[in-house]
Amino acid sequence: MVTKISRKGQVQLSETIAVLFIFFVLIVFGIIFYYKYQQVAIKQQSEELLAARAMDTTLRILFLPELFCSQGDAEPEDNCIDVLKLRQVNETIQKHLEDYYFDLFSYSTVTVAQLYPVPRTFVVYDKLKLEYTKRESTYFVVSVRDDTLGSYGYGYVKVEVYS
Amino acid sequence: MTISKKAQMEMVGLVVIVILITLGMLFMAQFAFKDRPEKKIFTRKGLAYSTVSAIMKTTVTDSSCVQEFVGDTAPQVGKDILEDCAANKDTGPFGYSQYRCQGQHSCVFVREHISELLNSTLGSWNKRYQWDTHIIDIHGVEPEPLFEPILSKGGCPKTRDRDSSELFFLQTEAGLVQSVLYVCD
Repeated sequence: MVTKISRKGQVQLSETIAVLFIFFVLIVFGIIFYYKYQQVAIKQQSEELLAARAMDTTLRILFLPELFCSQGDAEPEDNCIDVLKLRQVNETIQKHLEDYYFDLFSYSTVTVAQLYPVPRTFVVYDKLKLEYTKRESTYFVVSVRDDTLGSYGYGYVKVEVYS
Repeated sequence: MTISKKAQMEMVGLVVIVILITLGMLFMAQFAFKDRPEKKIFTRKGLAYSTVSAIMKTTVTDSSCVQEFVGDTAPQVGKDILEDCAANKDTGPFGYSQYRCQGQHSCVFVREHISELLNSTLGSWNKRYQWDTHIIDIHGVEPEPLFEPILSKGGCPKTRDRDSSELFFLQTEAGLVQSVLYVCD
C-alpha cells in the first residue's frame, strides 16, 4: 500500500514538473516573441517617422516663400515653383544654412528637376548626413514658372531625408 | 464524484489553454495584417492632384502649334489645347483644330503630350496610373470620353486600391470637360 502511494506521488510529481516545464517554455516563447515584435515595431516606427519627415520637408519646400510662385499680394499658386527664385535660392540657403535653414530641413537633399520644355536640375538644399543608416525619397510634381518666357514648365521636387 | 470533479477541472484547464492559444493567434494576426495606409493615401492623392494641376498649366513651347492660328503663342495644355480639342472633336483626316502642334490634331497631340509627361514622372517612379478625360456636352447627360484613356501597366480599375486627383473641370463652349488621374501601386 505504502509503495503504491509513493509511486502515485512520483507520477504526480513528474506530471507537475512536466506541466511547469511546458508553462515556462511557453513563457520564454512569449518573451522572445514580444522582444522580436518590439524590435520590428521600433524599426517600423523609425521608418514611419522618417517618411513623415520627408513629407513635412516636401510641404515646407512647396510653401517656401523663397520658391513658390507669387504675384504681388495675390495668393501663391498651388504646386508651382518660380524659376527666377530657383536660380538664386541656393546661394541664399548656403549663406544662412546653419542659422536658419538647417532647422527647417535638417539632414536632407532637395532637388527641383524641370523635365519640360528644357530638362534641367537645380539643387535647392543639400546637407548630407555622413554615415546615414536610412534614406527616404519623396517626389512631388510641380509647375515651373518662367516669367521671362511667360511659360509654365513641368517638373518635380525630389526630397531625400537621412537618418 | 471525485473522478467527475477531476475531469471537470481538466476540462477547465483545457478550455483555458485553448483560449490562451486563440488569444495568442489573434494577437499575432493583428500585427501580421496591420497596415497603416493613411500616409500612402495622402501621398498618392497629393501626387495625383499636383500632377494634373501641373499638366494643365504646362505651356507647349512648340512653335508649330500656332501655324493656323493667330493669338497666344504659347498655348497651355488645359485651357487652350484641351479646350480646342473639345470644340473640334473630329480627329479624322479632315478634322479641323485651331492648334496643330507637331502637325497633329489637338486631341491627338494633347493625349500624346500628357502621356509623355506622365511617363516621365509617375512612369519613371514605377507608379501605375490612369488618366481619363470626358466631355459633357450641352445636350448630353452622360460624359463621353474626349480621347482614349491613358493607361500605364493596365491602369487603375475600380477593383484596385487607387487614389484620384478628383475631377478637374474646364468650362468650354462645347461643354464641360472633366479630367481625372488615378494613381495606384
